[in-house]
Amino acid sequence: MHIIPFIIIATPIIASLFFRWNVKSVSLISGFIEMALSTLLYFQMPFHGIFYVDFTEWIFLMMVSSIYTVSVFYSIYYMKDIESRGISEEMYFVLMNLFTASMLFSLLMNNYGFMWVGIEATTISSALLIIAEKNDISLEAAWRYIILVSAGVTFAFISIILIYYNFHTLNVYDVIHSGSQGGLIIRVIVSIALVGFGTKTGVFPVHTWLPDAHSEAPPPVSAMFSGVLLPVALYVLYRIYQIAPYPQLYTWFAVISIAAASIFLANQRKYKRMFAYSTMENMNVALLGLALGGVGVTGALLVLVTHSFAKSASFFSSGNILKSTGSKDMDHVRGIWKGMPYTSTALLLSSFAVTGAPPFGVFIGEFIILYRLATVNMIQFALVLFFLMAAFIGINQNVTSMVFNGTSDHKESGWQMPAIALACAVISLLLGIVFLGGYFNALL
Amino acid sequence: MNPFENVIFLAAAMATVAGFYIQAQEFIRSMIRGQLIQSIIIAGIVFILAYLESSPDLVILGILVLVLRGYLVTALLERRIPGNESYVYEKGIGVASHIIMDLVFIILATFIVFSLVFSGIHFSISGGIAGSTIIVFPLAIFFQGLFLIGSRNTTFSQIMGYVEEENALVLFALFIIPVPLIIETSVFLDVLALVVISSIVVMEKFSHEPMEELRG
Repeated sequence: MHIIPFIIIATPIIASLFFRWNVKSVSLISGFIEMALSTLLYFQMPFHGIFYVDFTEWIFLMMVSSIYTVSVFYSIYYMKDIESRGISEEMYFVLMNLFTASMLFSLLMNNYGFMWVGIEATTISSALLIIAEKNDISLEAAWRYIILVSAGVTFAFISIILIYYNFHTLNVYDVIHSGSQGGLIIRVIVSIALVGFGTKTGVFPVHTWLPDAHSEAPPPVSAMFSGVLLPVALYVLYRIYQIAPYPQLYTWFAVISIAAASIFLANQRKYKRMFAYSTMENMNVALLGLALGGVGVTGALLVLVTHSFAKSASFFSSGNILKSTGSKDMDHVRGIWKGMPYTSTALLLSSFAVTGAPPFGVFIGEFIILYRLATVNMIQFALVLFFLMAAFIGINQNVTSMVFNGTSDHKESGWQMPAIALACAVISLLLGIVFLGGYFNALL
Repeated sequence: MNPFENVIFLAAAMATVAGFYIQAQEFIRSMIRGQLIQSIIIAGIVFILAYLESSPDLVILGILVLVLRGYLVTALLERRIPGNESYVYEKGIGVASHIIMDLVFIILATFIVFSLVFSGIHFSISGGIAGSTIIVFPLAIFFQGLFLIGSRNTTFSQIMGYVEEENALVLFALFIIPVPLIIETSVFLDVLALVVISSIVVMEKFSHEPMEELRG
C-alpha cells in the first residue's frame, strides 16, 4: 500500500489538532509538507489501489497543495485585524485545514462513493469560512452556498448509485477501464453528474451560489474556492465523464456557460463578483477541453493550473484593495496605481492571465482547446471565441480603470500581502513561459 | 404481489405522503415532526428488506436511519427553534396554492423523468419486487424536497427540503441496489454534519429574502 497519499490527507487534519497552539504556523508548515509530499508522489505514480494517482490527478494535487499554502500564508496577515468575526481566527485556520483535507480526500480516493463524500465534506468544512467576516450579506451568501450546492451534490449521488447498479463496483480505475460502450444507464449517469457536480463546478444554470460565495468570503477563501475547489469538483465530474464520454452534451453546456459568464460579468459593479464570473468562464473552458479529449485535456490542465495561481492573485489583490479602500465597488476604486503599485501590478497581471492574454498559460491552454474545437464544431468554436473576447475586454477594461483612471490616496497595507499577490501573478506568467518552452521543444 | 411487496409499496407511498405533509405545514415544529415520520417509515422499509434478505448490513442501515435521521437530526433542529416554542411559524406563505403547485410540479417532473429514464430499466430488488414502478416514490420525494427548498424562505424549511432529498436517495438506493454500507454511513455522517452547520446559520438568520448586494 502507498503511504504517501494517506499522509497527504492526514497532514492538514493533524495541523487542525493544534487548535490551541499556534495553529497559523502549523498550518503553514502543513502546506509546505503537502507540497513536498505531492512532489514526491510524482516519482511513484501511476498506481491504483485504495488510492488512484496518475498524471492528471497529480496536477490537481499540486494545485491544491500550492494554493492551500499561499492562501494560509496570505490569511495569516489578512485575518489579523478583522473586526466582525463570524468564527474565531483559530477556527478559521482549522476549517481551512479540514477544507483542504476533504479536497485531497476527493482527489486521492479510488472510489466514486468516497469522492462524493469528499465533495460534500468540502461544503461542510468551507461553509463557515464564508462568514469569517460576518455580516448579513455574508450570512445570506453562506446559506445560499450550503443549500444550493448540497441540493446539487445530492442529485449527483443518483449517478453514484447508478454506477454501482451498472458496474457492481465503485472502484474508479476499474469502472473507467471497463470498456463501457454507453447505453441508456451510462448516459443517465454522465448527464446527472453534469448537473449534480456541475453545481459545484459552476455550470450554467446551476452556478448561482458561485458569485455570492466568492464575493462575500474573505479573499483567501475566495482564492481556495476559485483556484482549487471548483477544479476538484471538475476533476470528479471528469472521472465520471471518462466512463463513457458524451461530448455533445458536455461541450454545449460548457459553451452556454461560457456565454452566460461573459454576459453576467460585463454587468458587474463589484470587482470580486466580476472575478467570480471569470472563474465560471475559466472552469467551463476547462470543461470544454476535458470533454473534447485528446489535446483538449492538455489545454484544460494548463488552463486550470495557471488559473489557480492567477485567480488567487486576483483575489489577493482584491483583498489588498478592500483593506485599503473599504469598498468592493469598482466605481469607488479609482487610480490606485500610485499608492498601491505592487497590488496594481498583481491585479493587472492576474487579470491579463485569467482572461487569456499571451504568454500566460491560460492563453496557451485556450488556444489548444480552441484549436481542437475548430476541428470538431465550427459553430461552438465561433461562439466560444466571441464570448472569450467579450470577457477579455470586459474584465481588462474594468481593471485598467481601477488602476489608472483618476487618483486616490490609498496606500498598501504592509508589504507581505502585496508580495504574496504579486508572487502568485508572476508564477502564472512563468507557468505559461515554461510550458511554451517545453511544448515547442518537444515538438522540435 | 406477495404481502411483503404490498407492505413495501404502501410504506413507500406513505413516505411520499409524509413529504406532502411537510410541504403543507406552516409551523416549524410540525415540519420537523413530519421529517421524523418520514425517516421512521424509511427505516421500517429497510428493516423489512433486511428481514427478507437476511442482511445484517441492512439492519445496520435501518438503525443508522433511525438514529441519525430520526433522532439526531430531529433533536438538533428542534433545539434550534427560536425559544424552542411550538408556535414559531413561517409567515406569509400560501399553503393551499403551494400544495397545488407542488402536486403539479411533482406529477409532471416524476412522470417525465420516469418515462424518459427509468421506465425502460427493470430493477429486480430485494424481496422479489420486480419492475421499475416503485422508483416513482423516491423520485416524487426527491422533487418534493426540491420544491420545498424553492418555495420557502426560512432556513428550517430549506433544511427540511434537503433532508427530504437525502431520504429520497436512501429509498432510491434501496430499491435499485443498496450501496456499500461504509459509503452509506459516510453519507449519513456528511448529512448530519451539514445539518449541524446549517443549524448554526439558523441561529443567525431565520429567513432569506433577495438582497440588492447579491444581485446579478
